[in-house]
Amino acid sequence: MFNGIAGGGAEDLAQLQSTMRAIELACSYIQINTNPAAAEATILSLHQSPQPYKACRFILENSQVAAARFQAAAAVKEAAIREWSFLSTEDKGGLISFCLGYVMQHANSADAYVFSKVSSVAAQLMKRGWLEFTPAEKEVFFYQINQAILGSRGLDVQFIGIHFLESLVSEFSPSTSSAMSLPREFHENCRKSLEQNYLKTFYSWTQDAALSVTNKIVESNSDVPEVKVCNAALRLMYQILNWEFRYSKGGTKGSINVFSDGIRSDTSSLRKTECVIVQPGAAWCDVLLSSSHVGWLINLYSSLRQKFALEGYWLDCPVAVSARKLIVQLCSLAGEVFPSNNAQMQEQHLLLLLSGVLPWIDPPDVISKGIEEGRSGSEMIDGCRALLSIATVTNPVDFDRLLRSIRPFGTLTLLSLLMGEVVKVLLANSNDEETWSYEARDILLDTWTTLLASMDGSGGNAWLPPEGMHAAASLFSLIAESELKLASASATTDEDDADCLASVSAMDERLGSYALIARAAVDATVPFLTKLFSDRVARLHQGRGTVDPTETLEEVYSLLLIIGHVLADEGEGETALVPDALQSHFVDVVEAGNHPVVLLSSSIVKFAEQCLDANMRSSIFSPRLMEAVIWFLARWSFTYLMLPEDRNLGSNQLQSLPSRACLFTFFNEHNEGKFVLDIIVRISLTSLMSYPGEKDLQELTCHQLLHALVRRRNICFHLLSLDSWRNLANAFANDKSLFLLNGVSQRSLAQTLVLSAYGMRSSDASNQYVKDLMAHMTSSLVDLANNSDLKNLAQQPDIIMLVSCVLERLRGAASATEPRTQRAIYEMGLSVMNPVIRLLEVYKHESAVIYLLLKFVVDWVDGQISYLEAHETTGVVNFCMSLLQTYSSHNIGKISLSLSSTLLNEAKTEKYKDLRALLQLLSHLCSKDMVDFSSDSIETQSTNISQVVFFGLHIITPLITLELLKYPKLCFDYFSLISHMLEVYPETLAQLNSDAFNHVLTTVDFGLHQQDVDIVTMCLRALKALASYHYKETKDGNTGLGSHAAGHTDTNGVFHEGILSRFLRTLLQFLLFEDYSTDLVSTAADALFPLILCEPNLYQGLGNELIEKQGNPNFKTRLANALQVLTTSNQLSSSLDRVNYQRFRKNLNNFLIEVRGFLKTK
Amino acid sequence: MSDEEHHFESSDAGASKTYPQQAGNIRKGGYIVIKGRPCKVVEVSTSKTGKHGHAKCHFVAIDIFTSKKLEDIVPSSHNCDVPHVNRVDYQLIDISEDGFYVSLLTDNGSTKDDLKLPTDEALLTQLKSGFEEGKDIVVSVMSAMGEEQMCALKEVSPK
Repeated sequence: MFNGIAGGGAEDLAQLQSTMRAIELACSYIQINTNPAAAEATILSLHQSPQPYKACRFILENSQVAAARFQAAAAVKEAAIREWSFLSTEDKGGLISFCLGYVMQHANSADAYVFSKVSSVAAQLMKRGWLEFTPAEKEVFFYQINQAILGSRGLDVQFIGIHFLESLVSEFSPSTSSAMSLPREFHENCRKSLEQNYLKTFYSWTQDAALSVTNKIVESNSDVPEVKVCNAALRLMYQILNWEFRYSKGGTKGSINVFSDGIRSDTSSLRKTECVIVQPGAAWCDVLLSSSHVGWLINLYSSLRQKFALEGYWLDCPVAVSARKLIVQLCSLAGEVFPSNNAQMQEQHLLLLLSGVLPWIDPPDVISKGIEEGRSGSEMIDGCRALLSIATVTNPVDFDRLLRSIRPFGTLTLLSLLMGEVVKVLLANSNDEETWSYEARDILLDTWTTLLASMDGSGGNAWLPPEGMHAAASLFSLIAESELKLASASATTDEDDADCLASVSAMDERLGSYALIARAAVDATVPFLTKLFSDRVARLHQGRGTVDPTETLEEVYSLLLIIGHVLADEGEGETALVPDALQSHFVDVVEAGNHPVVLLSSSIVKFAEQCLDANMRSSIFSPRLMEAVIWFLARWSFTYLMLPEDRNLGSNQLQSLPSRACLFTFFNEHNEGKFVLDIIVRISLTSLMSYPGEKDLQELTCHQLLHALVRRRNICFHLLSLDSWRNLANAFANDKSLFLLNGVSQRSLAQTLVLSAYGMRSSDASNQYVKDLMAHMTSSLVDLANNSDLKNLAQQPDIIMLVSCVLERLRGAASATEPRTQRAIYEMGLSVMNPVIRLLEVYKHESAVIYLLLKFVVDWVDGQISYLEAHETTGVVNFCMSLLQTYSSHNIGKISLSLSSTLLNEAKTEKYKDLRALLQLLSHLCSKDMVDFSSDSIETQSTNISQVVFFGLHIITPLITLELLKYPKLCFDYFSLISHMLEVYPETLAQLNSDAFNHVLTTVDFGLHQQDVDIVTMCLRALKALASYHYKETKDGNTGLGSHAAGHTDTNGVFHEGILSRFLRTLLQFLLFEDYSTDLVSTAADALFPLILCEPNLYQGLGNELIEKQGNPNFKTRLANALQVLTTSNQLSSSLDRVNYQRFRKNLNNFLIEVRGFLKTK
Repeated sequence: MSDEEHHFESSDAGASKTYPQQAGNIRKGGYIVIKGRPCKVVEVSTSKTGKHGHAKCHFVAIDIFTSKKLEDIVPSSHNCDVPHVNRVDYQLIDISEDGFYVSLLTDNGSTKDDLKLPTDEALLTQLKSGFEEGKDIVVSVMSAMGEEQMCALKEVSPK
């Protein structure tokens, strides 16, 4: 049909011409934006018409409008992918060769985008048929391409050939491939086949093509057309090396480990610059290494370098950029491509590359001067990238040695000089962002990180070579000095977004890398930092009262951050160990007082202690400086304060070092630890009480510092014995000024104090401690609720604030529930149950308070539910239900009259948050059936949780409008609860009355039509649960879903279908005619299978209906067969077990590939 | 709370229209007086006066009666005025002939006839038709700083 175009009659021709004109017109309408909707419809109809190939071909060959040809190509692709399964083999091949032939014939004309499109269409179709074409069939295409690439048909065709391979490779690469609604397995097989059989061949073809034009380029003195081919070749080589090689690894690593597919994935988290390690495997050795490929590339680039002064060439001309990119990429070549019997090979390879790259970066001062005078920085930056790549595939010692054979110093020294130069430039023009020096600094920092991070985790035994250590030390002092200069220069600038937490975390990454450099030479850098710090502190004291301290303050601020990073790692929930470098160095120190780390830490603690003095506070300790102090203390104490004796840290050789023992014992509970802990608590109280309104500081104190302290059990014991901690607890319970903290801090502080109760010797004492702590809060709520004038009183602003504070605190305490304090917190909640309901009533218009109320209950139930005995559970459940009912009765049918759209939106958001909290409450109740620590035996008459939760859902679902389900989080919570309930308790659902039942299932139906894959998955799981429950029950002779499934005839005599029939229809409609991710097919299969088993007759009927609808007799048979195969092949039987589900998944996948194409054709 | 028990004192109606509260403590969703108007806060952000200065709060708020947007910047340790916003529910008993005023039933059995109907057409229709169908409608009235306005309505099913 496709090839038969030549035989078409006159009418045909007329028809084709009119189609062409229609499309051309539509394209031009779109361009001038006239009636775009109609124009789009015209084009769409071409895309969707069955077998539009003839028309498309006609347009491609005859139309003068480039956009029309583009659309025709797109239509070919769309139709062919859709109809692939019933195209004949000749047609498939014909389409591909037409596209290939087309691009080659028109190789020299303009409108590059049309050719890109046609060549990508060819690539896609080739992939679509990849697994069905025989090698001989593929050979025909590749012969044609090879000829083109060899250049026998001229430069333009050569270029097109390379370009086609580029499209092909990107189509086969998983990250850039198009889905074609085929399962992952297909893509994986294609990728495997290409990688194993073709990729290397492509590479050597490209190499040959590039070689064939090299001489012309080298000899020319101006821009020659060969450059275009060379550039394309370099780009393709780069792209091929970028391939994620999987299958060419040797037999030893046969299985693919997705989690560590490269070398040293551990360092990747710290790095900003992407650096892909190229590991093509042993087979590539000849192409990449033994064929003097690298030498050719280096020579090519150096001859290009000489031409930069000539017309047509410059530092950033495309071919130079591509060449540099490829050079950088070859630097990261690793793995089995280097034969194991030739250890020198990798070193020689890297040396060759390094010597090629060296002129880009060496000597650093000359290069940077050149760039500052106007030269482009891109070559130098690529040089830095090359160093990063080399660092990624070597270790520090080998890295350093590389340069020694050609220079009197090692690579580390070069790296240090280079970065020093960059830092200098950066400091000089610190004002303008986005300069080359920023980028270079980040890449070089990554290089250091890569080199040093590999040492840091190796137990502290690997040190840099002495010269390298020296280089690191001098670089670090340069960095530190320049950071301080930057700090003092920026001290007076008023940044609006100076949110401390944000800026700290933004600097975090950079400081983390600086810290690694510092740790590479701790012998020099720790004393250096101590000196810097004491200098600045002395300066502060000298100038006190006379000089404006702002610049020095900012320097101290920066120093604290830097020192914090050098001394300690971020714990992130894990226990942060003392960095290896700090443990293993300073071997000659025998007395703790002289240990440089101890000296540095003590001097900072001593400095921080001065904030306790009111005068010092007002003159020196600004809120911002306090933030740094608190941040430092939190980070430092987590690593150094009161380390348990038995903690075996580091490797065994380190254990015996006396210097290490000094460091570890100095801050433990027998030595300075207790004093330091006391100081820290007093500083915390000061920062909470004496810095009113400083939200950031208070959050930092509560969240980072205090919270981290009580997480450590051994510290809790000491905390409770401290007067300062008692003062803090006392102030919390009684002092008005702590009521001024913001809500989050209130909550966190309450949580912290309750957690510290662990330090009491017994469970009783712990409970008593919590009771005393919270007694004031609960009694104030009870008093308020019992006040006769509550209604008026409650609306006073000061009372609203008091209630909010108390609720935040109760919530904080509730979230700190642990087995030891569970009783006290249970009683706390119990005592405020009635007040909570009262307050819910009086604050019904005050949504901010309502939300706090609900969140408190949610957290309290979450903490308590699994511990409760049967009678307690009943009480809590009743409380929750009356909470739900009260909330619902206040809100259902309520209409806000506000004129402000902002306020109306706010009100909607508030409602969403409330409902989400209520859903969480129900989910927590659900967990009682899963986790239960109560002492009751199973037989005890206990609350039926599933009924309760369905009842709860029944109360709140009317409030959850479909409008509100557009909030993604609410939608997610709602459907996870629904699918959980249906999966675990289908029998309870069956007992619901028909209104409630229908409401639940209407929302499931709504969920099925959501865009979010997770939501649809959950709904499908719910359906599966429902249908399989019904099937199994009825098979055993029970009623299952009973009347819900059977359908009913209403009073008007209209028959309403049962629920399962309805969903069978919906699901089939969904699978056959709608667009969805292929990931959903398996889950949908799991739901469809039991539905079919439940409703076999309806399924039969629907199948027949589908078949009848097909006009084409050919399709009729195919569909009938496919339907038959779907339910019979793979020995599918009618039992719902794992094996059968798996079989059905496979069947459904095949079925959809077979029929979706023509069912979707209009 | 101090050690002596907190005494909840009800202020006489209208005696104190506003209360002082620390700016750092006023959050989104709370109330604030800006330029003499009672407002609901829709956005709070904090910044510093100079790097080593003190924090200040930037409020964006909506006038609860006129829906106008107002902004203010206050050092976070200073006090702001917070309006006493009172809300009372009344049963709707009549809509006046001229269609501008409603008649409401107070808790103590008397009527309140000085409140205007909402201006929004859709709501007005809903209110009127609901009322004509004989549904029980509860109207919430919000008052602050000497002004009052209807702020919400709700149909209640007769018990």
